[in-house]
Amino acid sequence: MSDSKEHKLDPQKWVERYGDYLFSYALGRVNDSGKAEDLVQETFLAALKAMDRFRGASTERTWLISILKRKIIDTYRKKYSSKESAFGSHEETVFDGDFYRSEEPFRGHWLEGTGPNSHSLLPEGELEQEELMKYINLCVENLPAPLAAAFIMRMIDEEDSDTLCKELSITPSNLWVMLHRARLRMRECLENKWLS
Amino acid sequence: MAKGPGYRMMVFMSKQMIACDEASFLISLREERKLNFRRWWQLKMHLLTCHLCRKYAKQIGELNYSMEVYRDGVSHESCSHKLSPDAGSRIDKELNRELNAK
Repeated sequence: MSDSKEHKLDPQKWVERYGDYLFSYALGRVNDSGKAEDLVQETFLAALKAMDRFRGASTERTWLISILKRKIIDTYRKKYSSKESAFGSHEETVFDGDFYRSEEPFRGHWLEGTGPNSHSLLPEGELEQEELMKYINLCVENLPAPLAAAFIMRMIDEEDSDTLCKELSITPSNLWVMLHRARLRMRECLENKWLS
Repeated sequence: MAKGPGYRMMVFMSKQMIACDEASFLISLREERKLNFRRWWQLKMHLLTCHLCRKYAKQIGELNYSMEVYRDGVSHESCSHKLSPDAGSRIDKELNRELNAK
């Protein structure tokens, strides 16, 4: 069926071999098991359609992950286009009224309770990965969708600015503002939820 | 009274001052790219006088560290989560249907 030389595709075994792996990968990025399952299924079906284009240069798993990545970005894109206005507004508003005071003479100062409070964001003692992941998921979920998308792609997939701007079709300054706003919210959320 | 060099210096300095909103933006921006000298200096001066933003900068560092730990958790080779048997067989069925249709 496939004319690949080094690596061969075997769709019959995909779910068994890569189901958990793709599911874990997706879940770490969309944090909704229903959505992650859908993404795994979409990935396999898309892979099936694209089988002719598999040249065997990478392993089956790497190839499937690259398709899944695309699918994840697509879900963020869909969120964007349904919220066009929320997206455009990020360009102007570097200075977020939810976080800073707007009245003179204290314009631009932290609003009470939104600035950093505790000395450290991390709990004392040994850091438990599982607990940390739980709170990060919780806080990412609280982000507005476009901010969550930018933040996840930047911090978890470690995409650089150029790639991100291209993927999301936004300007660098737009991206920087979004990342800033995401960090503001993540920091606040972690401080309030995790440490309390 | 003539406006001497001291006065001009004061005006210059006050124009260089930024507030917490801009400072926190620069703290985020320096994660993305190198700040130009002017911005670097503005941030430095602000941090010197603002303990809240110093704390903010420290916590953003901790956020980065947390995300590193998170990344390790989701990207290591082993599967941290399992596809439920239900979902597995559903996807398997879908896949086989497509395969047979091919």
